[in-house]
Amino acid sequence: MASDSSSSPPSSDEEEESAGQKPNVDVKTNSIDNSLDAIENQLSSIALKTSIDERTAPSTDYDHEPVVSEIDDGSLRESVSERQRSSIGESSSSRAAGLWRNNLEVEVELEAEVDGAPSSPSSSGYAGERGSSSSVTSASGTDAIRELRDNGSSMGDDGMVPLDSSQTQWIHGKRHADEDDASISWRRRKKHFIILSHSGKPIYSRYGDEHKLAGFSATLQAIISFVENGGDRVKLVRAGKHQVVFLVKGPIYLVCISCTEEPYDSLRGQLELLYGQMILILTRSLDRCFEKNPKFDMTPLLGGTEAVFSSLIRSFSWNPATFLHAYTCLPLAYATRQAAGAILQDVADSGVLFAILMCKDKVVSLVGLQKASLHPDDMLLLANFVMSSESFRTSESFSPICLPRYNPMAFLYAYVHYLDVETYLILLTTSSQAFFHLKECRIRIETVLSKSNVLSEVQRSLLEGSMRIEDVPVDPTARSGSLFHLNQRRLATDSQERVHETFVGIGGPAGLWHFIYRSIYLDQYVSSEFASPVSGPPQQKRLYRAYQKLYASMHDKEVGPNKTQFRRDENYVLLCWVTQDFELYAAFDPLADKSVAIRICNRVCQWVKDVENEIFLLGASPFSW
Amino acid sequence: MPSRRRTLLKVIILGDSGVGKTSLMNQYVNKKFSNQYKATIGADFLTKEVQFEDRLFTLQIWDTAGQERFQSLGVAFYRGADCCVLVYDVNVQKSFDSLNNWREEFLIQASPSDPENFPFVVLGNKVDVDGGNSRVVSEKKARAWCASKGNIPYFETSAKEGINVEEAFQVIAKNALTIGDEEEIYLPDTIDVGSNNSQQRASGCEC
Repeated sequence: MASDSSSSPPSSDEEEESAGQKPNVDVKTNSIDNSLDAIENQLSSIALKTSIDERTAPSTDYDHEPVVSEIDDGSLRESVSERQRSSIGESSSSRAAGLWRNNLEVEVELEAEVDGAPSSPSSSGYAGERGSSSSVTSASGTDAIRELRDNGSSMGDDGMVPLDSSQTQWIHGKRHADEDDASISWRRRKKHFIILSHSGKPIYSRYGDEHKLAGFSATLQAIISFVENGGDRVKLVRAGKHQVVFLVKGPIYLVCISCTEEPYDSLRGQLELLYGQMILILTRSLDRCFEKNPKFDMTPLLGGTEAVFSSLIRSFSWNPATFLHAYTCLPLAYATRQAAGAILQDVADSGVLFAILMCKDKVVSLVGLQKASLHPDDMLLLANFVMSSESFRTSESFSPICLPRYNPMAFLYAYVHYLDVETYLILLTTSSQAFFHLKECRIRIETVLSKSNVLSEVQRSLLEGSMRIEDVPVDPTARSGSLFHLNQRRLATDSQERVHETFVGIGGPAGLWHFIYRSIYLDQYVSSEFASPVSGPPQQKRLYRAYQKLYASMHDKEVGPNKTQFRRDENYVLLCWVTQDFELYAAFDPLADKSVAIRICNRVCQWVKDVENEIFLLGASPFSW
Repeated sequence: MPSRRRTLLKVIILGDSGVGKTSLMNQYVNKKFSNQYKATIGADFLTKEVQFEDRLFTLQIWDTAGQERFQSLGVAFYRGADCCVLVYDVNVQKSFDSLNNWREEFLIQASPSDPENFPFVVLGNKVDVDGGNSRVVSEKKARAWCASKGNIPYFETSAKEGINVEEAFQVIAKNALTIGDEEEIYLPDTIDVGSNNSQQRASGCEC
């Protein structure tokens, strides 16, 4: 945060996201009484405020007993409400801050207004048994402040993987399947994702064994259902430095428990994507199954898809598409992309709903039947599904999939074939009988692509990378209309292999370290190559989180929409500029000069426009026909 | 990834306060008993893995609070239950009389698809107290009630002595399992592009 000036302790780069503190949610006994008490307290405090306009109501603290050691309490609360203002999107939410009886700082965000507190039972004295936590409280209080300051500097978990090879390096499937909620290691994980059914049966957990977590999952269901029974909805519980974010999708409950200090909107967006991924695999016909039979156990239907979910969760810490809601293209010469588009269009005319040619998470070309729109989120989920499922790599496949933004209720059929190690073709159709037709289409496409050298161009682009900050044209007269022109020049002089390692130390002009440009009309973004100051995975993840936070604050529905933001902290200068046409996110050296930084941002935007026909897919935007 | 399919069974334990629901569960899961009474607030959750006829499954046991003030939690708690265990104290007439209410309330709130055949199990607990001398509900009477409700399996248990607890839960698991076994084929719709755009149908895939 910009206002935090004190230095933060260096963070360790552990492999897993681990928190020093155990979650304050009482998982050991799996008893919900305490949480119910807390919620009840919130409900009554909200009831107290119903006469006040909820948008303007100040948060009120209810201390149920004197708090023993609150050295930092004032500043903590200040920062908490500060954070809250920037992290809660829905303006309809009523706010209440409160303390649990055992002195743990907890805030519960509820969605709808409550007309009076439900006449729920009070649990006399029971919370007291749990006591002995006042020392914990003060500790967690100061920790929360520290966490605020070093937000983003706590790498870990996914940080070990370089951004461009994350699909190949990590082990597929679930890690730490032996853990349950009683394991210290499980409690220390920084970010949990849990999916359960409305009857409290576990469906998926990022860490640990779902069945061993049955009690924990039941607790979550009890909390959610309890609030629901009162005609309300629980959105967020803040406990110490942990946020528990809830998302209810009919009979499916999704919960994220995180101490990563990501904004609420970001975490909620991640839960939405996780749900979307499940819908992509199964469609929302699930709802009907649960309607008919609340006992419905959907875990067998999800058999073998754990890698899909863990890979998606991983992408939440490296793939900007997960919060930008835009896709990115592999840079290609305009003619090359045109050639790819032409052959895809050819097969699309023969009854293929969408034809998508991708290289890793980047689009080479994509074509859809007229009026059929493909949402960037669907592309993200589809690409993740294909890339994380090992079986697609080894043979041509035909699989039912659902595009949640296109039609969440029904299946499409996807023909998937890898043309080389990184490049794959997806043909989507509505006909379950179309396999052989699509196979023919693929053979045709493959022939044309290799004849026209598209595939080798793709490989070359992969090697050369995207826009580089060193190439930002500082001198407006020296502009070049092509990205490849620059890259080729470099290739000629540098070693072929490690082009981007050659610029060490200073970053681009005026201390520019990195930028992301998102074109609003095209639903596409371009992200510059990572260079020296942010070349390591931990630095990249930290920057990613900073961008994510910046995005959330720019799109905050209560405060925003904002046009520009300039923020300086000990890590970066971050500059964000939002216009009708584009959004620019740029990171500079923390000592960068403001006016120079602004000038450089203008240059970047000009540069992007100069080379837009190489970095974007133009004229075929699938989402804005 | 689990190579073998496992089943999770949600088991709800109901009965008046003080009949020994938590003690039964503790005896079953932890093999422990405490004479001290500690009221359950809301609900407690325990899990236990059970092997049954070569299949592994997990019991998710919802130990609910017996006090009436917690009844409003019903719908939330009972939804999707695979089995319901009704517990009474053989030494307290009222706890036996309440069984009917508990059962009916459960069926209303949980609204299972086939209420007639929903698996219940009845446990008459605390048979050890006073060597059985303080007993007021006879086994015969209890069995008669169970028979009248569609032959609910009945066990006389002592959480304290561990009598019949294991056996009772075996039957609970077995009964929950038999009705959980019916499988449905999951068959969602396929997109009909024609409904989105009537022209598409004609140009749709010909194969």
